[in-house]
Amino acid sequence: MASSQHVLLSPAELSYLHSSLSLTPPLRPDGRSPTQYRPLSAETGILPGTNGSARICFADGTEAIVGVKAEVEKTKRRWDDDTIFSENNHHQQQQQQQQQQQEGEEENEGRNNNDEEGGSSDWVELTVEIPGYRDDDSGTVFLGQMLSEALLADGGFVKRLRINRRFHWKLFLDILLISPPLSYPLPLLSLTTHLALLATRLPKLKSEGDEDPFFDDDWAAAPYLYARDPATKRVAERPPVTLLVMAVGGNIIFDPSKEELAVADVVLAVSVGDDAQGKGEDRMDVDGSNPGRNLKLLSIRTVDPPSRLTPPGVANAANSAYGHAQVVNTGANQKMPEARQTESEAVEGVWKPPRGGAKAVVMGALVQKVLVRGGVADEVLDALEGVDTS
Amino acid sequence: MPLDTSTYNLALLRVDGRRWNELRRIHAQIRTQAAADGSSYLEMGHTKVMCVVTGPSEPGPRRGVAGAGGGGGGGGAGGQSKEAEVVVNIVIAGFSSVDRKRRGRGDKRTLEMQSTLSNTLAATLHTHLFPHSQINISLHVLSQDGSLLAALINAATLACVDAGIPMTDYVTACTAGSTSTYAANDEGADPLLDLNHQEEQELPGLTVATLGDSDKVVALVCESRVQISRLEGMLAVGVDGCKQVREILDQVIKAQGQKMILEGTVDKGTGLNDMDLD
Repeated sequence: MASSQHVLLSPAELSYLHSSLSLTPPLRPDGRSPTQYRPLSAETGILPGTNGSARICFADGTEAIVGVKAEVEKTKRRWDDDTIFSENNHHQQQQQQQQQQQEGEEENEGRNNNDEEGGSSDWVELTVEIPGYRDDDSGTVFLGQMLSEALLADGGFVKRLRINRRFHWKLFLDILLISPPLSYPLPLLSLTTHLALLATRLPKLKSEGDEDPFFDDDWAAAPYLYARDPATKRVAERPPVTLLVMAVGGNIIFDPSKEELAVADVVLAVSVGDDAQGKGEDRMDVDGSNPGRNLKLLSIRTVDPPSRLTPPGVANAANSAYGHAQVVNTGANQKMPEARQTESEAVEGVWKPPRGGAKAVVMGALVQKVLVRGGVADEVLDALEGVDTS
Repeated sequence: MPLDTSTYNLALLRVDGRRWNELRRIHAQIRTQAAADGSSYLEMGHTKVMCVVTGPSEPGPRRGVAGAGGGGGGGGAGGQSKEAEVVVNIVIAGFSSVDRKRRGRGDKRTLEMQSTLSNTLAATLHTHLFPHSQINISLHVLSQDGSLLAALINAATLACVDAGIPMTDYVTACTAGSTSTYAANDEGADPLLDLNHQEEQELPGLTVATLGDSDKVVALVCESRVQISRLEGMLAVGVDGCKQVREILDQVIKAQGQKMILEGTVDKGTGLNDMDLD
């Protein structure tokens, strides 16, 4: 399911598309502005048998469903957790004892330990299913990797899955693409996963400390994985989203369609998170004016653009149909026609697939554009906030 | 979890409160997916499936053994034949059952359902009208609570109707079972209609698919041990259930057709003037 699906466009069409996307402002085939996403409709909580679920339909008809299921699992303990009293551990314990004596709180020890221990990335299992493609197809695996990487990048997500020192939740995310893959489905799958995680609830824990976990069987009391602010009913911290960005000529284009990808110079998948720590109090004060979020870059992947595999066009000067055959029909070129094509100069209006890697400047500009305050990532997160996830 | 079947004789009610000949609630929708040629969504009780049909179209490039991996063998042969190939691909979502169970590509049960479906549909669709082409049917199981194969067949029928692929008649399917276990050797066992997951685990059962209003059986799958004396009763009840299902599916398609005419999506054909659209 690589992004390199074959698009049946001729070199002339590719060239036309490339030059209209390189204009300022770019002209996109579907009339969107460069930063505009496809309109979408979304719903959550569609599957009562799951802990959280969501469905998104993009306006072009592509549709995805994500279901989240959680299981309690015993945490594998490191062999030296209790048995060996390492320097470091010993030091910490001493500190804690001092603290306890000072504050006289017994609870504190458990708390401190909880905060210190992170989770492990195998607490999350993410699978992507695309109809007609094998689940071990390289493209499918790559999509799954990009999505799970964004979740696991800062280690903050797995911390939410902790129950106590001995147990944790294991989260299974199953991502289904329902429609045939008309465009590269990364943005769709990422947004759907985002909503499903927002709608995810885990049963309320009744047991305390390191006991075997025991849960409240009232589902209405189950807290959300991403806790809501009781006053504003808004989610404080949000799961990451992965945006697909591409560069054509001097333009940066978001959420490209399949045809646009076919002429891309560079394609990046950029995962951003909403950094809750950074916004703190001052954000709350000016909430009405919406100063934008503190976006946090989680991961970047370059996606191999299908444009590299497109056939190059032939300039009139080199085209025998125009009677210029003699000009190029000499020596080595005659033996190696493909060498002639690759070495030809860029001619205006003749499609030439991009060669070589992305320039650092372009990559920087792409990432900058994603992370800018009040930019596309903000817009997307704001739009997703409008979806009722309760 | 063993099902206590002894209570059935007391009130003649099943675990979910149905009588022996009652279907679960069936809810169906067609044209749920704008990008596909045909699509449907079907609920039989808590079993929920989605179906997306692409084609008939030119067969895509064969990716290695994708035919064996992604699709379940063709009913009607390959791309060069005179008949369209029906490729069925079933995705059973990990979250569909109560305990999450991951089914790989090579899961035997899935493969068998795929081949049953593609053979059944290839026999009913007019595949000879589309030589050198392929009909892709992909089914997504979102939630399962028994009668999975029956639900898949019904959903595929609806999606094929939506895709406008000519077919002989509706293929509708239903399950039937028997009130006591194989070992019980109970002479007075009643047949049951439309098994749920609990009943399916414990009791003998079969899936039967029939063609339209007729009694023609196009698919019959029985994976459990059944005493031969009970089989006839079960089959009769199953075939009867298929007719009920057909009525329901027919209503769904008619309702969608009326909606599309009223919205002006399609022209009102000749001879439809006397049809009551209210």
